[in-house]
Amino acid sequence: MIQAAKNIVAYRELLMVLAWKNITLRYKQAYIGIAWAVFKPVTLMLIFTLVKSFVGIDSGHIPYPILTFAALIPWIFFQEATAEGVGSVVSNANLIRKIYFPREIFPLTSVMTKLVELGINFGILAGLMVYYGMMPSIYALWLPLIILYTVLASLSIALIGAAMNVYYRDVATALPILLSLLMYASPVIYPLTLVKEKLLTNQAAGEWSNLLYTLYTLNPIAGVIDAFQRVLLYGQAPDFAAMLPGMVLIAILLPISYIVFKRAESYFADVV
Amino acid sequence: MAIIEVNHVTKEYSLGQLQSLKHTIQRAAAKLRGQPLPERPLFKALNDVDFKVEAGEVLGIIGHNGAGKSTLLKMLAQISVPTRGNVKIHGKVAPLIEVGAGLIGDLTGRENVFLNGAILGMPKAEIKKKFDEIVAFAELEEFIDTPIKRYSSGMSVRLGFAIATSVDADILIVDEVLAVGDLAFQRKCFDRMEDLIKRQNKTVLLVSHNIRQVQRLCTRVILLDHGRINQDGAPQAVCDSFYEQSDAKINANAAHAKARTRTSGDLELMELGFLDQNGQKTDHLSFNQDCMIQFKIRVYQHLSDVTFGFGFHTTDFVYLTTHNSEEQLHINYLPLGEHDVLCKIARLALLPGIYSLRFGVTAGQAAGAIFYGENLKHFQVVGDLPVTVREGFFALDAQWLLTDGKDTYSRDIAVAGNPMS
Repeated sequence: MIQAAKNIVAYRELLMVLAWKNITLRYKQAYIGIAWAVFKPVTLMLIFTLVKSFVGIDSGHIPYPILTFAALIPWIFFQEATAEGVGSVVSNANLIRKIYFPREIFPLTSVMTKLVELGINFGILAGLMVYYGMMPSIYALWLPLIILYTVLASLSIALIGAAMNVYYRDVATALPILLSLLMYASPVIYPLTLVKEKLLTNQAAGEWSNLLYTLYTLNPIAGVIDAFQRVLLYGQAPDFAAMLPGMVLIAILLPISYIVFKRAESYFADVV
Repeated sequence: MAIIEVNHVTKEYSLGQLQSLKHTIQRAAAKLRGQPLPERPLFKALNDVDFKVEAGEVLGIIGHNGAGKSTLLKMLAQISVPTRGNVKIHGKVAPLIEVGAGLIGDLTGRENVFLNGAILGMPKAEIKKKFDEIVAFAELEEFIDTPIKRYSSGMSVRLGFAIATSVDADILIVDEVLAVGDLAFQRKCFDRMEDLIKRQNKTVLLVSHNIRQVQRLCTRVILLDHGRINQDGAPQAVCDSFYEQSDAKINANAAHAKARTRTSGDLELMELGFLDQNGQKTDHLSFNQDCMIQFKIRVYQHLSDVTFGFGFHTTDFVYLTTHNSEEQLHINYLPLGEHDVLCKIARLALLPGIYSLRFGVTAGQAAGAIFYGENLKHFQVVGDLPVTVREGFFALDAQWLLTDGKDTYSRDIAVAGNPMS
């Protein structure tokens, strides 16, 4: 892992240039350009708001559109960074066969690219906050750490996924499906407080309730989304109890994922 | 100390299709049940290759297709790892494997310089410093802000070459890149390579099918054959033996139609043979000895004003010389049937080596040849190289004099020494 950090420092310029290339390429010949980055979360926010008006989801004193938007931006970041990261090695096959540099540059670049789009979406969020007359609290300073954690969560899947995808292209095809399922198991449409209330307060699943809640929060993104909403909208510190299971999972998964990637790396050029 | 060490490197590839996930799971299941697994055949792309390169050496790697050249370069560029053995490199490597890998069509020339430079490991500050030089070398000043998808293929390759050779590295790995652009640019590339090699004293590994280029640039050549080092030594010796091997391969491959002929149908070459100075049939000719070439032709149409011509060329089709019968034979009419044509050569000037032969016939007012064929017969010229000749294709009849400005003296000798006078 120390070697990984060293590589990132040594190749930071390449990382930047490749991320810049990805962004430039994606929007170069598109008329509205980088504005496409906000299209997906805004559309989903509108749809969820519409659905919410039929089914009724309790969003407390926070207006539902901004609550769901604050959930959508880390979720979409995680989803797209992971999916692109998994496909990144195969889609750069031409470079892999010709030039050497540490191969983790590719998944890292995918994540970097998505970070830029995340930044743009923060602009929209800021606009919404102004519209609803909300002020960020001092707890917003937690954001960089929360984003870093999201990046690590994304890399835990992206690294091992990218390596496997070189051998079995099934991975990159299956992953988006799995990820869109995961969205329903994450507090995107509904807030985490609802889940907590049902399971911990009302013990809705009987003696299994506490275990189920732990399982639910094993999904690192559940904790991330909740933390986003807390520090930005509620003016509260992150709920570390809800983040802990996910953090433990990532702490185990990330090193494994990295080791698998590095072990497979030498054979990418032969197989891809 | 050696800058590159290749220690007993073997690279194996599995033959056949990459297996599906389903197949892998079935295999894993079979393994768990303890059933024997069918082994997939392995292909050795490199077989126990072992050599060292000293700093400043220019090493050429040659060999037939599939000999393992590119695989070896991949090991050296760290793109792939050996199955057995190891590669140690002490210094920064700049891989020029297929220049232009990583150029992006949608980006402008300028953007591509920065992108490709970064991919090749140049810091941004250095790219900025060298930017003008790169653009000037690629001759793309006018087009540098145009997306390179609008470039001609020559233009993008020029840009790729200019970027790749700007990388400041101790070791350059070059794979067939000198054949880029038009002739003027090829010249420029070649000069740049020579500059990198001779003046900047870089260590260079050059893989090429252009054996003449290898011979000229390299200080040492390795000949790979089926993944093994067949020869390792001085460029001249190794390249010559490569030519011989190529020739043996071509000759062995009889089904391969080696000769390229075209005919109007009026005439056909039946047979082609060599006679030595004693008039005996022979397969090879001797340097500096008289010899004869015998052409047996069959004529299917009455021909008038016939001229024969033949020429020697190298096995890679460098035309060396020709001779035609125009002044010596005045054939106004050539009847149907078989004819023997003989060409006598006095003191064959071709240096020992492998050559081939071409032959053509013109007749009447026809603009082109009614028969033309090249690569008709490969042959070897044997004999000892005279000490006056180091390399090339021909021996010259020449004399050296130390005249120190004494004009008259030199004129006397020159006349005396000229056999033609």
